[in-house]
Amino acid sequence: MAMGAMAGTAQGQLADAGPPDLADWAGYYVMARGEEVEGLRPVLTINELRQLAMDRLQPWALLKMESTDFVANDAGQICLPTGPFKYWFAVGRFLFLPGPDKIVMPFLNVPPAGVRRIYMNRGHPRNLRPTWNGDSVGRWVGDTLVVDSVGFNDKSWLVKVEPHTEELHVIERIRRVKGGSLLEFDITFMDREALTSAFNFVLYFKKADLADLDRQDGQLVNVCNEDPELWRQIMDMRLQPLLQRSREVR
Amino acid sequence: MRIPLRIVTLVLLVLGGSHSPQAQVTPESAVASAILYDVFQVTGDDESTAGGLKNEGGPNSIELLPAAVEQMKSVDLKRDPVNLCQPLGPFRMMARENNKIEIMPLDGKLIMIFEDLSHGLMRAIHTDRDHLTDANPTWLGDSVGRWEGDTLVVETIGFNTRTWLNDMGAQHSGQLRLIERIRPIEGGSYLEYAVTAEDPVVLENTYTYTRYYKKIDGEMSEDVCAYEWPD
Repeated sequence: MAMGAMAGTAQGQLADAGPPDLADWAGYYVMARGEEVEGLRPVLTINELRQLAMDRLQPWALLKMESTDFVANDAGQICLPTGPFKYWFAVGRFLFLPGPDKIVMPFLNVPPAGVRRIYMNRGHPRNLRPTWNGDSVGRWVGDTLVVDSVGFNDKSWLVKVEPHTEELHVIERIRRVKGGSLLEFDITFMDREALTSAFNFVLYFKKADLADLDRQDGQLVNVCNEDPELWRQIMDMRLQPLLQRSREVR
Repeated sequence: MRIPLRIVTLVLLVLGGSHSPQAQVTPESAVASAILYDVFQVTGDDESTAGGLKNEGGPNSIELLPAAVEQMKSVDLKRDPVNLCQPLGPFRMMARENNKIEIMPLDGKLIMIFEDLSHGLMRAIHTDRDHLTDANPTWLGDSVGRWEGDTLVVETIGFNTRTWLNDMGAQHSGQLRLIERIRPIEGGSYLEYAVTAEDPVVLENTYTYTRYYKKIDGEMSEDVCAYEWPD
């Protein structure tokens, strides 16, 4: 299937070499680190990335961040989606499932990470209802898949507890590097309400053996709310001291 | 290529008939493509397909053995996995009102994704292997698929006992076995879905229900289950 070619033609974005065959990109991906990314652009640690975001927060956003507890206020802790930004770090694994006019990216585990869909056959709809994952559309620029995402709600956080607004605009440039062994995600966050300027970082992912999903039993079917009673006890233990401390600080 | 495949699919379905020997296919073939990529939504019980087919039966019509009936009576319906944002399992989920699915291929597997992720999750149907012999029981079990003509036949075993069989609290055992038969009908406009449940511990007899899923133009939307802490 030449799905990439179809998508590129539909968008009228064919460069000289033409878009790659997206079917080759299909697979189960995990984050690449260390030696695997040597010679490529530097990959920031989560703390470095957090600093990058914090340095650009508008004053109100900084205040909001400082009054937020990253455990108590983390949507993922109550099995709500964590937003598409934390997935890279907190989850770091996804399926890349290309179709003729869309790419489906279930992050593992679902839930709470959720499923992204990148539509290759349309622009953003007008009057988008804000959602956790926003609305993503893709087009080819040469061998790079450029994904434009808007329409996020403001319930998720950029890295840990760095706020964003519904104005958040994310652009990802995705291409194969290192002879096709890695997918490079060049990601730019823009939010004129919450950030003083855009920031950019890069992540790399490698294909993993699908049999790993069998070997690591249950990964595909993780249930966030596996045991509500046990979970509540754990949350009480974890959250009560944090909430108490938070009250004292305030 | 999608368009030619769809045309071939239609020709196969029209000329070959849905169960004819000529329609022997592989997962990579035209008929297989008719179930892939698109969004399908279950039809309502008061609807019928363009060809007049209607849903038959449903999880609430299963017949339980006496001990299972007694067990069901003791179930607290407030603990329904529906209310806890937990998976319902394929038997109950595929009959759920307004259920939407999309099926994507991936290297010998078919990934079935539910719009209602919390209750449906995402199933991997393995067409490239048999059942695992050493897997732990899971909410969705272990599904293996094979093609019989134009029909995808999925056998699922290895369930844990956390899901319910229906809205009334009917439980099942670890011996639950599902056989699902999925095939495109009416030119690919619908999927016929029939599931048979076997569980010698709780079911009086094997039970089969049928649902028709309509291909829709719409997209899968974000459906987030808002969990409320138990009192």
